[in-house]
Amino acid sequence: MEYLSSIILIAISAALINNFVLYYFVGICPFLGVSRRVDMAFGMGCAVTFVISIAAFLSWVLTAFVLRPGAPLASWVWQRLSPGSEGVADLSILNYLVYIFVIASSVQFVEMYLRKFYPPLYKSFGIYLPLITTNCAILFACLEIMKHVSGVPAAEMWDLGRALALAFFGGVGFTLAIVLMAGMREDLELCDVPRALRGPAIALIVSGILAMAFMGFTGVDRNLAALLR
Amino acid sequence: MPDARTAAAETSSDGGPSAAERFLNGILPENPTYRQMLGMCPTLAITNGMRSAMTMAGAVLFVLVCANVMVSLIRGLLKPHLRILVFTLTIAAFVTIVDRLLAAYMYAMSKQLGPYVPLIIVNCIIISRCEVCAAKQSVPTAIADAVGQSLGFALGLASIATVREILGAGTWFGLPVLPAAWPAWVIMVLPPGAFITLGLLMGGVNWFLARRQTARG
Amino acid sequence: MRNNYIAQAWLVIVLGLVFGGALAGVQAALSDRIAQNKLEEALSQIPALVPGATKEASTEVEVGGARVFRAGAASGQLGWVIPCGRQGFGDRIELLVGVDRGVERITGLYVLEQKETPGLGNKIADARLFRNQFAGKTATRYLVVTKQGAKTDYEIDAITGATISSMAVCGIVNETLGRLRAELLAALPKE
Repeated sequence: MEYLSSIILIAISAALINNFVLYYFVGICPFLGVSRRVDMAFGMGCAVTFVISIAAFLSWVLTAFVLRPGAPLASWVWQRLSPGSEGVADLSILNYLVYIFVIASSVQFVEMYLRKFYPPLYKSFGIYLPLITTNCAILFACLEIMKHVSGVPAAEMWDLGRALALAFFGGVGFTLAIVLMAGMREDLELCDVPRALRGPAIALIVSGILAMAFMGFTGVDRNLAALLR
Repeated sequence: MPDARTAAAETSSDGGPSAAERFLNGILPENPTYRQMLGMCPTLAITNGMRSAMTMAGAVLFVLVCANVMVSLIRGLLKPHLRILVFTLTIAAFVTIVDRLLAAYMYAMSKQLGPYVPLIIVNCIIISRCEVCAAKQSVPTAIADAVGQSLGFALGLASIATVREILGAGTWFGLPVLPAAWPAWVIMVLPPGAFITLGLLMGGVNWFLARRQTARG
Repeated sequence: MRNNYIAQAWLVIVLGLVFGGALAGVQAALSDRIAQNKLEEALSQIPALVPGATKEASTEVEVGGARVFRAGAASGQLGWVIPCGRQGFGDRIELLVGVDRGVERITGLYVLEQKETPGLGNKIADARLFRNQFAGKTATRYLVVTKQGAKTDYEIDAITGATISSMAVCGIVNETLGRLRAELLAALPKE
């Protein structure tokens, strides 16, 4: 029950309260670039959610078992190489290299999968599919997981469930924001926007108002935590 | 203001824009924030104070210069399929270095910048400069390009951070510039303030450029 | 085609090794300094949190599975400084609580890290507005947040407009002291 409540809290926090786009400002480039039509935005959101989950899974596994200070696999190899030494095996300096590698590979894998099984979808994505590699949201999810797995005492370390909850619902929050934005921009195209503000400028101002709306969720996690306790 | 392209008429030996051109282009004509619209994530996230904004600009300068130099040195060896991967690995390595340097020498600032320093890895500015300039031109040109683009980025960050910090906290670089009676517009240091400030400033830049265009032609 | 890819990948592999080596060097050069910075964060607050204690005479120990600091002076151990906090996603508060030797009274509170709303919740980090009132409160029973003005030594005044953040801080203090009190008393140096 406590585990479930912590998963719910992480999910709501990642999707609504600390929304990746509207609070942490990650994933802004596709948010501004792809959000002109609702169906494209939804497709992009789903693709990002998919990639973020795969990348989070791989990052968690690699961080927990290989990269963090005192990780099992690294320690085992270290014991073989210099038995009886005092030092702790710590490969965490390689974290960022490994994560970006994992993300690039995940995107590559998704690309190959789509090209083989859903060619029309693959074609409609065009250039935007490989650009998911530079989507800050995915690396951000990996970094958040790293924060709770690497350098943290064993009792507080996040397990795979929490990491996946963060990643998946972060992607859901991203999808929510991008679809809302697309809906608003579809309507904005029919409005009389001043010439200087047309394009990304008005999109940013509207996002600001959307971010203000999402600020209404502040504090929901604390009260929910008190309720679930 | 004379266009940078006509001012520095020499091209570099590899046929692309010269070092001086690259440098000047990066500051205003191809400003990463307002013209290319790259690197939006730190532009919105880090600009609630001038100090963190300038630290981030310094970190980006370091990574951009190092990455450009590295890519320019190995530009003859790059294969088309794997070059993006090579760029990304290079950038990730230098970002790790700058992250560690910040944690070692500016610990409080590094905690404030948080996850946004490693996010420099996926900052489109750096990958785009590697692709457009460093992979094709010599080291001095690449360095000039990196410095110019970083200055442009710093300019963009400073413009937004100034507005947000002065209106949102009444300070600039942490020093009070508005009288204590000023009711701080807290919304400015919160996420909505970032979006709205950038949107309005972008609109302002577009308006100014449009006026200059009609004044000329 | 496969051969071609592997042949092309040699650059990536070489770069990987070169960067791996460079990063290992950076790690070796800087990790001590970074660890020292982390420690300094807590150590530098000890004189303010436990009156009379000095940085030099204080040491970090492990008590009850948590790392705490013995706040000491030349005359001996004067109290404890306990790092504690809540590590949610986006909901992160890290505190330092100072208590006296016998864990009877709280002697100080410091906020290391918080992500509360600026202008409202982040006032919990302010000494005058919130933190100073913790000095002198009891450490033997749970603190309670009140909006009507604290009258007893177990009540804490909430910040106007930031009750939730105030309650979060008290909750962390209560939970940590409740969990560690017995172990801290057991870890006192024998007279």
